[in-house]
Amino acid sequence: MIIKSFISHQIKESMRSSFWQKQIVLNILMGLLLLIMLAYLVMLGIMIDKLFKSIAPDEDPVVLFNGIVLYYFALEFMIRFFMQSLPVLNLETYLTLPIKKSSIVHYVASKSIFGVGNYLSWLVFIPFAIKVISPEYSPVMAWVWILAMILLVFTNNFLATYVKRQLAHKPWVVGIFALGLIGLMALDHFHIFSITQLSRDLMGGILRNPVMIVIPLALMVGAYLINYFFLRGRLYPDEVNLKKKTRTDSLGEIRYLKSIGLTGHLISLDLRLLWRHKRTKSLFYLSPIFLLYGLIFYNDPTFKMNGSFPVFIGIFMTGGIMINYTNYCFSYESNHFDTILANYADFKQYVRAKYLLAIAISTLCYVLTIPYGFYGLNILLINTATFLYNIGFLSFVLLFVSTYSTKRMDLSRSASFNYQGMGATHWLSMLPGFLLPVAIFWVFNYFKLPVGGYIFIGLLGLTGLVLNKTMIGVVTNQFMKNRYTMSQGFRE
Amino acid sequence: MIEVNNLTKIYGGTTVLSIPQLVIRQGESFGLVGNNGAGKTTFFRLMLDLIRANSGWIKSKGTDVKGTTSWKFYTGSHLDDRFLIEFLTPEEYFDFISQIHHMSKGDLTVFYKEYEEFFADEILGKSKYIRDFSHGNKQKIGVAAALMAKPEIVILDEPFNGLDPSTQLRLIRILNDLKKNKGTTVLVSSHDLNHVTEVCDRIVILEKGQVRYDMAKNESTLKELESYFAG
Repeated sequence: MIIKSFISHQIKESMRSSFWQKQIVLNILMGLLLLIMLAYLVMLGIMIDKLFKSIAPDEDPVVLFNGIVLYYFALEFMIRFFMQSLPVLNLETYLTLPIKKSSIVHYVASKSIFGVGNYLSWLVFIPFAIKVISPEYSPVMAWVWILAMILLVFTNNFLATYVKRQLAHKPWVVGIFALGLIGLMALDHFHIFSITQLSRDLMGGILRNPVMIVIPLALMVGAYLINYFFLRGRLYPDEVNLKKKTRTDSLGEIRYLKSIGLTGHLISLDLRLLWRHKRTKSLFYLSPIFLLYGLIFYNDPTFKMNGSFPVFIGIFMTGGIMINYTNYCFSYESNHFDTILANYADFKQYVRAKYLLAIAISTLCYVLTIPYGFYGLNILLINTATFLYNIGFLSFVLLFVSTYSTKRMDLSRSASFNYQGMGATHWLSMLPGFLLPVAIFWVFNYFKLPVGGYIFIGLLGLTGLVLNKTMIGVVTNQFMKNRYTMSQGFRE
Repeated sequence: MIEVNNLTKIYGGTTVLSIPQLVIRQGESFGLVGNNGAGKTTFFRLMLDLIRANSGWIKSKGTDVKGTTSWKFYTGSHLDDRFLIEFLTPEEYFDFISQIHHMSKGDLTVFYKEYEEFFADEILGKSKYIRDFSHGNKQKIGVAAALMAKPEIVILDEPFNGLDPSTQLRLIRILNDLKKNKGTTVLVSSHDLNHVTEVCDRIVILEKGQVRYDMAKNESTLKELESYFAG
């Protein structure tokens, strides 16, 4: 009975989440995108045997598939560890009610099975089982195999939640897990121990002898029980949501920024904002990914150095982080927007601080991409042109546009992956900024004037830089015009 | 000091505030009381140009507050936690506010000295961010920040909320001192009739966005207020 009301609370919680309360058009658009992605997964499941056949025509696709199962789960485990949010029941609400403790614990421990991430891989392995395993073995065996996969998915789910829970209590458990995983990978790499073989033995063994399904079953039950016992001992709210000891940093003490007046103080405020919230801090962790884009593409022999695509990469590398920042710089301040409005007298300085920080971020990225010049002068030219475009043009456009973003973003809510305010509108609004220079270059390239294209893109940026006072003025006026709407949106 | 004329604010068809005429003189201590949803916070928000009025204006020292900045230099305010920058330490926050108001290092030291008793060893030197403080201590930080630049006008929404008894009494003393010795204009809203009558010389009751009573304080004010809200 009590479980039933728990579940109904759970459903209400997700249905009434503000996530759904967007414009209907956006919901439809997002729904379509989601459907397309799901369709791709199903296609993958249906086509995967063809894929295996084209890579290794002589091997049995079932054996190949069985061989990668454990690799897949290892990868999934890592993704889960970073992406999956810990299900936290609002314990205080239930603890004081006359409910048996064990039901609460079971509920909290099993809550994670509702995560969407558990069900995506089904779309791949079920079609595969029906299409390939069923005719090769028997329909019953196909279902046994599917069941084994499902059990492994949930084993993975429970293991990941357990390790993540331990992160706050005993970080060394996480370390052991990581070491174990790396150790296995290393053993596999040096052919001392084969994960492929283990994977084949397990999944193939189940196909030969269905009784072996007790292995994944036992694994799942075990993984569930460690969660259960972990939580049972820590049902007091202050023990579950263990707070890390707070430490403060001395980021506010940057002398140089203090010496350049109010603008410097505003920049230093923004730096601290970025550094002291989990969500914004992850931007810093993401930066290597943006910068490594070049390494991935420039090394690819099929990559056309003269096409329009390097322009796109250039914008991404020199501006990816800057774009992220400028897009949200106002909504990041949702929580103290009223202070800004009631206290700041000179909003030009406020906007300028944002702009200068955006330039600084972009410049840093640009400097780090200079070594890509080894791949050709061409690349250096492109990155310089797109850098100028980013700091002189795109940054202003994005600052201007972001005065329209009235979505509240509560950075203090510290779920490590907090996607609040990251609506589809944001991504759509970024697209023209990427496409414009690519289009410009395409036109120039069409007339065989690639260098002319680089120069034009660079000049566009330089013009903005020269006119920066005017541009900041325009953005400031726009900010002043939209400030009531922003303030209201940020309060919701 | 502050003039209000024909001010209305409408949310979704309901008029939440409608004040045809109101003048607050310099040095006056103005107390706003009313039940939830009476329009107290809306009134203060309009005064700080945080929301747009549907009609009318508010003038501070003769200039419309809407879209202007001159009033920010002599107005200190704290309405709620949104006035705090929660990812800063209290020291960093005070430092930042002092920079905005062009205060010197010396001014800041004097401020810390003056508010030492008010902070009662709870705020400074804790090396934690404001977001990790309790509600009452956040309130202390916000109120102190509103007062730190020695403003001519102070606007506080429910300043006594969440404060412990000692701090409540200290705040009453501080506000009375500002009013008497510095000639500061104090605007306070509160649910607590006792506190309001202790701080304010003029009390205004708002109900459903309308001014119901506007009276100078005397010995029987508290009684009158109590009977008003009891009925």
